Amino acid sequence: MRSAFLLDLAQCIGCEACTIACRVGNELPQGVRYIQISERIRGEFPDLVGGFDNHRCYHCTDAACVNVCPSGALFQEDGLTRVNWDACTGCEYCVSSCPYDVPVMNDGVATKCDGCRDTVNAGGTPWCVETCPSDALQFGPREEIVAEAHRRVDRIRDKYPEAQVYGESQAGGLGVLVVSPEDPARMGLPAAPEVPTAAAVWQEAVKPASFFVTTLAAVGAGVLGVIARRNHLRELAHLHGDGGGEESGGEHGHGGGDGALPGGGDGPDPHGAAAAEGPGSADPVRTDDEVER
Amino acid sequence: MTETTVEREQTTEETVDRRALVLGKRTLRPVEVIEGEVKLQRYRPGQRYVHLLMAVSFTVLFLTGLPLLWEPLSFLAEGGYTRIIHRVAAVGFLAVPPLYLLVDREGAKELLRDSFTYDRDDVRWLLNMGRYALGSASQMPPAGRLNAGQKLHHALVLILAAGVVGSGLTLWIVAGDLTDAQLAWSVLVHNLTAGALVLLTIGHVYFTLVYRAVDRMHTGYISKHAAELEYPKWVEEFEQANGVSLNDAPGQSPDEDPSAADDDEGPRA
Repeated sequence: MRSAFLLDLAQCIGCEACTIACRVGNELPQGVRYIQISERIRGEFPDLVGGFDNHRCYHCTDAACVNVCPSGALFQEDGLTRVNWDACTGCEYCVSSCPYDVPVMNDGVATKCDGCRDTVNAGGTPWCVETCPSDALQFGPREEIVAEAHRRVDRIRDKYPEAQVYGESQAGGLGVLVVSPEDPARMGLPAAPEVPTAAAVWQEAVKPASFFVTTLAAVGAGVLGVIARRNHLRELAHLHGDGGGEESGGEHGHGGGDGALPGGGDGPDPHGAAAAEGPGSADPVRTDDEVER
Repeated sequence: MTETTVEREQTTEETVDRRALVLGKRTLRPVEVIEGEVKLQRYRPGQRYVHLLMAVSFTVLFLTGLPLLWEPLSFLAEGGYTRIIHRVAAVGFLAVPPLYLLVDREGAKELLRDSFTYDRDDVRWLLNMGRYALGSASQMPPAGRLNAGQKLHHALVLILAAGVVGSGLTLWIVAGDLTDAQLAWSVLVHNLTAGALVLLTIGHVYFTLVYRAVDRMHTGYISKHAAELEYPKWVEEFEQANGVSLNDAPGQSPDEDPSAADDDEGPRA
């Protein structure tokens, strides 16, 4: 089942109960917050409009963080973006790539809201939703949440003519449907949060292709190498009448030059170098005089 | 001298020679008789040590980078230790070009020049490289110090290494200042160039094993027969540069050659 949150910014009263419940419920360390509330005042005095921004993970379907995560520490489940902290390598790619600037580093590991995975799996409700006193937050099947978001927008449209649902289509559809009383851009929400093209290209096409090509090359080289090496040994035997050993050190030339190149003269060597050499003259080990010296 | 005496003295000398050659402890001559086989100096000690540094650092970079690309191995990267090792190895990899210039400036310049200079034989060689890949070198167009495949390999390594180093330094030093797209492109370039280098390395190891060339980099010497078969034009250059005639003077000792006295410079070709 694809789950989602409802975040009704027209209902939010900025009490920060969700922030505190999230920190306590998830036992977050000092300094780490998955939700940040900030007051936003727009317009000019005396025509001021107040509201609260609710900065949190929006659980993108086309999630940049999941795409760039090299270790699978970030993954998707039930329509939400989860985190396996143990698998995080601390590369910080997710921190840099998130269009909402959500993941943060804590003790060398990336962290962010995981939709209260354990709590929900145990039959509970995410801490922020459980605590919200103004009915600004809900959690449930995404279809129901989308429908509820549209109902709420319809209800407030008289008061907020620009009200709209944010998150239905952005980044493949968000796991947080926002009831925005104004143009979402003015609420600090990007109109088109997307996975960087290069990240998508890498994850979807280049990475699997690279693994395929590299594996094929390694296996192919292994098989072809056996054949090619055999061919080369045969060639050396044809040219020199032996294994022509070099690396082995023991196949060729031991016992001096005599007889080392019995096949000289009839080989296919076009350069005439080895082929022109006759037996005994081809492998010029030192003379007795030189050895004595 | 009896044959037994020759063999005993050669064995003693060869054992010392080989170890000293590998470690680069003794003065090296352009032509050596190693384990009874005439060999030509192909790589000077500085070149071999730089190659070793590059091989070791690249292997470590590959092994510590793989957990970030292949999820079954990602547990190895937990805690960020592989990232630290990756960066230590990266420093070694980065040190290769300046170190090469420091220990063997001529060799580095020669490598750069050869990698991007191709003559007609090289083009013909490349057109026929399938035959070489299948283990047959005798029918190939004559090659110089490097065959065209090696030239192309080195050229690609230089270009790809620039890409992998540039993107790697970007991810290391300025990742926090990049936009989403810039970061994603840096990761893509880094992964792609590293992957291409891995493919080139597979090819490098393939040809090394097929043509039994491990010992060439290990000792710095190539057997005369292999050189004549695979690099005939280089052998000619080698003979001219070092004033030796490998075929006409079977007993030619480098000791007798005045040009061999300048051991530190190694072979001239």
